[in-house]
Amino acid sequence: MSASVPSARDAILAAVREARPPAVPRDESPASSALVARGGGGSRIDTFTAATIAAGADATVCSRDDVTRVVDAALAGARSVLSFSDLAPSRDCPPDGLRDLAALEVLVCDTTLGVAENGAVWIASSSDRLRAALFLAARVVIVVREEDLVDDLHAAYARIDVRAHPFGTFVAGPSKTADIEQSLVIGAHGPKALSMVVVRG
Amino acid sequence: MTQRSFPLPVVGVGGRIDHPAAAAAFNADVARTDWHDASLWFVREKRDRAASTVPDWEALRARASAIKEHALTHLDEYLVRFEENATQNGMQVHWARDADEHNRIVHGILAAAGARKLVKSKSMLTEECGLNPYLEARGIEVVDTDLGERIVQLRGEGPSHIVMPAIHLRKEEVGATFHDKLGTPAGLADPNALAGAAREHLRQRFLAADCTLTGVNFAIAETGGFVVCTNEGNADLGMALAPIHIASMGIEKVIPRVEDLGVFLRLLARSATGQAVTAYSTHVHGPRVGQALHVVLVDNGRTRQLAREEFWRSLKCIRCGACMNTCPIYRRSGGHSYGSTVPGPIGSVLTPGLDLDRYATLPFASTLCGSCTAVCPVKIDLDTQLFRWRQRVVENGSVSLAKRVAIDGSTRVLDRPRLFRTLGKLARVGLRILPAPLARRAAGAWGRTREAPVPPSQSFRAWYRRHRGGAA
Amino acid sequence: MASSVALFVPCYVDQFFPHVAIAALTVLERLGIKVDVPDGAACCGQPAANAGFAREGHSTLARFVDVYAPYERIIVLSGSCAVHVKQHAGEVAAHGGQTDSAGARVAERTTEFCSYLHDELGVDWIAGLGATYSGRVAVHIGCHALRGLGLARPSELQIRPFDKVRALLGAVRGLEIAELARPDECCGFGGTFAVGEPVVSTKMGRDRLRDITTHGAQAVVSTDMSCLMHLDGLARREHMGLPMYHVAEVLAGTAGSR
Repeated sequence: MSASVPSARDAILAAVREARPPAVPRDESPASSALVARGGGGSRIDTFTAATIAAGADATVCSRDDVTRVVDAALAGARSVLSFSDLAPSRDCPPDGLRDLAALEVLVCDTTLGVAENGAVWIASSSDRLRAALFLAARVVIVVREEDLVDDLHAAYARIDVRAHPFGTFVAGPSKTADIEQSLVIGAHGPKALSMVVVRG
Repeated sequence: MTQRSFPLPVVGVGGRIDHPAAAAAFNADVARTDWHDASLWFVREKRDRAASTVPDWEALRARASAIKEHALTHLDEYLVRFEENATQNGMQVHWARDADEHNRIVHGILAAAGARKLVKSKSMLTEECGLNPYLEARGIEVVDTDLGERIVQLRGEGPSHIVMPAIHLRKEEVGATFHDKLGTPAGLADPNALAGAAREHLRQRFLAADCTLTGVNFAIAETGGFVVCTNEGNADLGMALAPIHIASMGIEKVIPRVEDLGVFLRLLARSATGQAVTAYSTHVHGPRVGQALHVVLVDNGRTRQLAREEFWRSLKCIRCGACMNTCPIYRRSGGHSYGSTVPGPIGSVLTPGLDLDRYATLPFASTLCGSCTAVCPVKIDLDTQLFRWRQRVVENGSVSLAKRVAIDGSTRVLDRPRLFRTLGKLARVGLRILPAPLARRAAGAWGRTREAPVPPSQSFRAWYRRHRGGAA
Repeated sequence: MASSVALFVPCYVDQFFPHVAIAALTVLERLGIKVDVPDGAACCGQPAANAGFAREGHSTLARFVDVYAPYERIIVLSGSCAVHVKQHAGEVAAHGGQTDSAGARVAERTTEFCSYLHDELGVDWIAGLGATYSGRVAVHIGCHALRGLGLARPSELQIRPFDKVRALLGAVRGLEIAELARPDECCGFGGTFAVGEPVVSTKMGRDRLRDITTHGAQAVVSTDMSCLMHLDGLARREHMGLPMYHVAEVLAGTAGSR
């Protein structure tokens, strides 16, 4: 290509510079100071639990002593379990291929952050297997600790490092759709159920 | 071919979209119109409830608007920064001046890899570019994986809403389509069963796909990553498995910093569906091992809109659809009546910029009630922009001669007090003495469904003269 | 000049709803406000402007500015007209190439009838009229009055609720207000929209009437005769027997007496 023909990049950037309206400066005040959700008065763990249920998850709040028992109960009877948590072992997992995880029944993993205002938890990983299982498994069990809960997304973004892994997602409840006559269907293309285990204290 | 259940956009003389005629056709089925209106109003109400749980909602909107205005007025800097960081993250960044260039780039990536089975998640941009037919004509199988989009794809229609593509369809119609195309039992109309059938059908496509294309909700300049929000997990199933991931985005989607996502993600789902957040808000900062990750930055008229002093703020749009859900005209005419990829109030301020004559009726498909402006999470002055587009349409000569004559004539009358009084008296007398059927016909489009006002014996001005001695 | 306060009666009110203007004048006089109704400007220019005819709209608005410039307060008997004047009168000087800021002054001094009563006279003063009304009404605040003038909290906004029209009607003994399913949905008039998109306009109006009658309202009270012209036209065609009044008529005690 001859040097005199501008690339699409050059053309677009030139067009943007030409078109740009007068600069609107950035508001440098920290978002969280202006916008912290003052909440409905409930405790953070109660707000989180209610929000995760509203998102379609089932939630069990338990003590530290009880968590292994609760996770085992959530996995009882499952034909295959892929675990990324110390709280339960994997068993009868499909073999290594990512696509084989379509046969996986349960994925278990921990999270390092939960958001009270919307019941979402942050799952970030460089493991392609965890990422694929998060969407292919029939159901997902996630363990979140009370001390890892924050009030809202402003607080969440202040805590997480989105660049730490190529993939990170806020998961709120199981997959769902209301695309057919606004009828809520739980379990669209991703998992049909999400069990949130909330460890108190 | 499945019987279409909706009217196509009505295109009149010279290719002009005729919204009034399309709306009239839509309203021929009153029950369906009521159902469509109620469905969308329900979503508006869910939005209201969700917004009421956020004590700082109005401040959040103002904040989001300010971030977007800052980003758009520094768009070149943020695009360059995004490209630098995305490239460092291992993404390949492409630039497309228009729809055609976008389609060629996407096809080029697929062809180079010999990829032929594409699974797509929701991207209004690719609708705008006509990507599906372009790829299909070149031997690529394209499967839209958002359930609503898959439904309309199987029916050979376009989406009628940017968030709920199949909102115009009854479950029986979806059932009929699935029976025809997926082999579900005839008469099956239960949404759970139908969604279950779609899940199985689409799972096979996800597992067989050799490439995926997603849209982008937000691209972060600071980190060179992007965010894709879904409820279904369909974008993620594509991204987690396919060896090639192409992310198509309009250039206006770039935002400055990660922390800005806190503002936008608190507003987006609440505005769109009334949920606190979508099931998945996926942040991508690099390809999977062995995966090729491409981002295509698309202009396609956006820089032209950016240059319009009165209309550039429409580029703040985060594609939530709240304006459509609240618009009393959209709810009673349906997305297809706008003949535009993006319908409703935002479509009516974005699309005329592409072809003012073709879309001349869109800014008039509104009473300027202002509800859209009041729900917009990024505070786009939609009603003001609709008002301004009307002036551009008239300047462009795209209103009927009859309308021009009527406005010209009435202005002359209104500017001449004595002429106004005389004609007013005539009109009142006329209304009193004309037989009702004639009066109705004389009243034109008004008289088809409405009585004219009961003509009083004298005007207020005449009464005022008599009882208050006239003007000071 | 006899008074510093003027009343603007929009063209269609002058021609078709003189009783509303008479009621408004009566209310203001009873409240001790001496009001001029100057001749010479029949229209504020909104219909032409909203139809996209900026030039015609401006010339009409320029005439309005000329006629009303001498007044310190301009009370407009229509929410949509008031909003139009407030938003666009300041542009008039610019359009005509004049440097005179009469347009901006008129914009600033213009207010709508209910706003004026509520904000500048106060509900207590209005209560002093001793107006009564027996029955349940639906209140329809025109969209421009609502979202453009801040006459009440629009249902979309997350701010503390307030409603100036209800506050005024609260001073009317015996008047009950029906709660609607959609508190502030547009009636569908929209100026030239009523004839440019007649099918949707009609549907919107019929739906509004259904909401009104389903919730037991026996009459409709509004800030805007343009909305009522449309709703009343629909209601009478369907023989609904649903009377419609401007707020001024209720306060003047003439609602129900026509």
